[in-house]
Amino acid sequence: MISATDLLADIADALAAVLPEQRWFAGKGRPVHGVIPVRATDLAGAEPRLVHAVVEVDQGEQHRDRYQFLLGVRSDLPDILGHAWVAACGDQAVYQAIHDPELTAVLLDLMAQGTTVEGLRFAVEPGVTLDTEQRSRPVGAEQSNTSLVYGQTYILKLFRKVAAGRSPDLELHRALASLGCKHIAAPLGSIEGALESVPVTYGMLTEYLRNAADGWAMATASVRDLLAANLLVEGAPGPVEQADPADVGGDFASEAHRLGQAVATVHTDLATALGSAPAPAGYLDAVADDMHRRLDGVLAQVPELSPHEDALRAAFDAVRGLEGPVPVQRVHGDLHLGQVLRSVTGWVLIDFEGEPMVPLATRVAPTSTLRDVAGMLRSFDYAANYLPLGDDDPEQRAAVALAWTTRNQDAFCDGYAQAAPDPRKHAVLLHAFELDKAVYEVGYEHSNRPLWLPIPLAAITRLTTTSP
Amino acid sequence: MKGAPHTGEAMLPDGHLVEPQAGDYEHAKAAPTDPHWYKRAVFYEVLVRAFHDHDGNGAGDLAGLTRKLDYLEWLGIDCLWLPPFYASPLRDGGYDISDFRAVLPEFGTVEDFVVLLDEAHKRGIRVITDLVMNHTSDQHPWFQESRRDPEGPYGDFYVWNDKDTGYPDARVIFVDTETSNWTYDPVRRQFYWHRFFSHQPDLNYDNFEVGEAMLDVLRFWLDLGIDGFRLDAVPYLFEEEGTNCENLPRTHEFLKRCRKVIDDEYPGRVLLAEANQWPADVVEYFGDPAAGGDEAHMAFHFPLMPRIFMAVRRESRFPISEILAQTPPIPSGAQWGIFLRNHDELTLEMVTDEERDYMYSEYVKDPRMRANIGIRRRLAPLLDNDRNQLELFTALLLSLPGSPVLYYGDEIGMGDNIWLGDRDSVRTPMQWTPDRNAGFSSCDPGRIYLPVIMDPVYGYQAVNVEAQSTSSQSLLNWTRRMIQVRHQHSAFGLGDFSELSSSNPSVLAYRRSHVSNHDAGDDLVICVNNLSRFPQPVELDLGEHAGGVPVELTGGVHFPPIGELPYLLTLPGHGFYWFQIVPPNTGREP
Repeated sequence: MISATDLLADIADALAAVLPEQRWFAGKGRPVHGVIPVRATDLAGAEPRLVHAVVEVDQGEQHRDRYQFLLGVRSDLPDILGHAWVAACGDQAVYQAIHDPELTAVLLDLMAQGTTVEGLRFAVEPGVTLDTEQRSRPVGAEQSNTSLVYGQTYILKLFRKVAAGRSPDLELHRALASLGCKHIAAPLGSIEGALESVPVTYGMLTEYLRNAADGWAMATASVRDLLAANLLVEGAPGPVEQADPADVGGDFASEAHRLGQAVATVHTDLATALGSAPAPAGYLDAVADDMHRRLDGVLAQVPELSPHEDALRAAFDAVRGLEGPVPVQRVHGDLHLGQVLRSVTGWVLIDFEGEPMVPLATRVAPTSTLRDVAGMLRSFDYAANYLPLGDDDPEQRAAVALAWTTRNQDAFCDGYAQAAPDPRKHAVLLHAFELDKAVYEVGYEHSNRPLWLPIPLAAITRLTTTSP
Repeated sequence: MKGAPHTGEAMLPDGHLVEPQAGDYEHAKAAPTDPHWYKRAVFYEVLVRAFHDHDGNGAGDLAGLTRKLDYLEWLGIDCLWLPPFYASPLRDGGYDISDFRAVLPEFGTVEDFVVLLDEAHKRGIRVITDLVMNHTSDQHPWFQESRRDPEGPYGDFYVWNDKDTGYPDARVIFVDTETSNWTYDPVRRQFYWHRFFSHQPDLNYDNFEVGEAMLDVLRFWLDLGIDGFRLDAVPYLFEEEGTNCENLPRTHEFLKRCRKVIDDEYPGRVLLAEANQWPADVVEYFGDPAAGGDEAHMAFHFPLMPRIFMAVRRESRFPISEILAQTPPIPSGAQWGIFLRNHDELTLEMVTDEERDYMYSEYVKDPRMRANIGIRRRLAPLLDNDRNQLELFTALLLSLPGSPVLYYGDEIGMGDNIWLGDRDSVRTPMQWTPDRNAGFSSCDPGRIYLPVIMDPVYGYQAVNVEAQSTSSQSLLNWTRRMIQVRHQHSAFGLGDFSELSSSNPSVLAYRRSHVSNHDAGDDLVICVNNLSRFPQPVELDLGEHAGGVPVELTGGVHFPPIGELPYLLTLPGHGFYWFQIVPPNTGREP
């Protein structure tokens, strides 16, 4: 039998060919010069065989990212796995094993047994016993990971891009679980290892919240209902009165309130578990500098932003002079409505990885919790403006969206203030974080979804014309 | 009570009152033996006064109800639930009983009731009624004797005291009308205890004879052939200093005594406990799970109803998902009763602090939801007479775990008359035909006990049984068809419940699965409900049933077989599907 290392070397070119089709591949748009095997480990069997592989993708000097693959090897690939085919190796087929429940079951077994294979450590969290009879299937289309759901019980997140250093997702889940935090999915197991003596995290197993819906779906359902109420009003004879989001059936405010409480509880628990301290000298200047830098970059690309430059710079500079201690701590780092799930027992925060494009050192650096709050406030604004309904009268549409956004942002902050200090007390900093986020959104929408550009631009107009 | 046998017609030398005996009457032929009939049954709450007036005096009666049994059989009803029809001064809607062994004269006689039972049983319909065990009317001869003669056989039948300071931890339930649970009786010159109205003294269950007397009341009706009782206000039977006097262990002991009488002497009859409490507390009234339940066979699941309304209003399944997730398992012999409308309602006092906060934020602040919880409305007006929602709500009622209880008239979408006030707005005469008095009574319209509904939308000329029974598209025929489908599938009544996960918060999907002892009886049903007014897609994880074929239950259409991938369905606004999952290539029609 060919060794795992040789097998990987054999199919490296084929991997280079399939990489750009993978949703989680971060290097889309840049040519792939080559795929260099980093390590390959046999995890199971001969037929079918499971190989864990890490490769480095060469996209030029600045872009050498590492990715993990789970490769299945069979002499006879069943039709149902045809779509997972990667390459032929001798008379055998090599394919992406995440689609093969027979092989993914091995991962659960290895974790349950607490096995280490050539430096790959499979483990369960303390006190956890796994039911290894569960069959898996890959779920959804995630940006940077692949997740496997086992039965209706567990979800295994495989971090596709292998970053040096332990994953903040795993780290924060463990910290929160140690305090019994109810607002996370309980961590159950992990796959870890090391590359060049630096720890890396390959996978994290958590409880699967089997009957959950994400906050974005919940919020847009509410907006849809409000828009429908207003469409009815629009067609009515006589004077038109806008429907109040508080009066329509799909009101989201009490959910937003509970969501605020959940986020505040997670923040408080993170501070308890991993510490909180007054920001070091220079923190606020660094925050402001960072905001200015981002603005510089986006201004260079998006001329529509220039009219707002002065107001934005003034809001960022206002941060420098803030008095009184600003506490900093570990935070979620990329919080929005898509990162929260409504389960039958309440709101749960997921994916503590932070912004995937940001270096690890920055993601794990203590910062203000207002960053997370600002992310969520911006997300409410997006949810309110996202649905392409009621565009006949853009002014009316915007007014409806604003009414929804305001009501739910307020409810979120009210809920937050029940479990932690009211974020609105630090209006200048919160305001700056919101604007910074909106500037980032302008840049993102400009390059990716120009149709959505008006959403962050309108928010910047609104936020810079109302004083914090 | 002249002319009819009643309690206290005569007195024995030892001071005991002579009470009517079951042996004085004919007995109805028993319903067919079926120990778990109540799990499969569709119940129908009917007010005798409101259903049909046989003698033409303007109020419905037992004989009138008997004449409408053919209709109820046609509709597919398995069991009637009658609110109290006992002799009563009617100061509390008949729940103030002045003679447990006599029928309110305006409704007829005990003989009429036996005829009703007999005719119902001939049609496979059972009958249960309310029995108030906690208290009587102050007009009951027991109470009259008790106040007159403290040393006589009834002297200790009620809770008497020289002072009004006992049991201070028991709350006053009817705070609007009562200031204390004690009231002074000038005849006996003592205070008597009452958890409800002061004209309803509590029976003293510390006195063993009271329990025996009440068991004899049960036997009286059971001997006549009744199929069970809904036991009213059960949490309050016993009192104990230092407690809130609710749900005491001795109350449960007494219920076990009642259940033993049923099991030993009247197998197949049922007890339904009215405990307007949180499901986690109500399950105590089913008794010991190891014995399959040894107290009540059934209890109402109160919080589910407002949660269904909330879920559809919010277009979110979570209000329902949460309450079902919080509902503990029940003993094997037990069953929930579920309803959309009845004359009971959820009150905020009964819930936990956390739930009260939830109810307050989701419910009480919303004017429409507040109306639905506080004022009694019928289903159709609550749903703006929207046929799609009426069907969705009925489909939920018929498929969620528990035995459904329909409220009379809701099957034709009857309206209410809010000008009659809280209690009477939903108690107007059943609308049979477009003729005078809606075919309810031949009396002079001015004599009718409550006016029939006459508005243009819900009035009897538009909404009545006669018109709807001839239209294949009517709500009545649709409801009848859905009841038929329910009866064809044991999963609805006997099956397990598990919610199916989906990422769409507006879609509620669940599986009802019944594994029977014999191979052919297995039944697996999937229900998918769109709580939103907009069309919705949903992807269900049905991997466990890979290879199976969903067959839609109302039309028998075979849907594409289930594969390894999530099963995609699209639903119209407020649409729903019921599927049976059958093995591939069996082609079995539902």
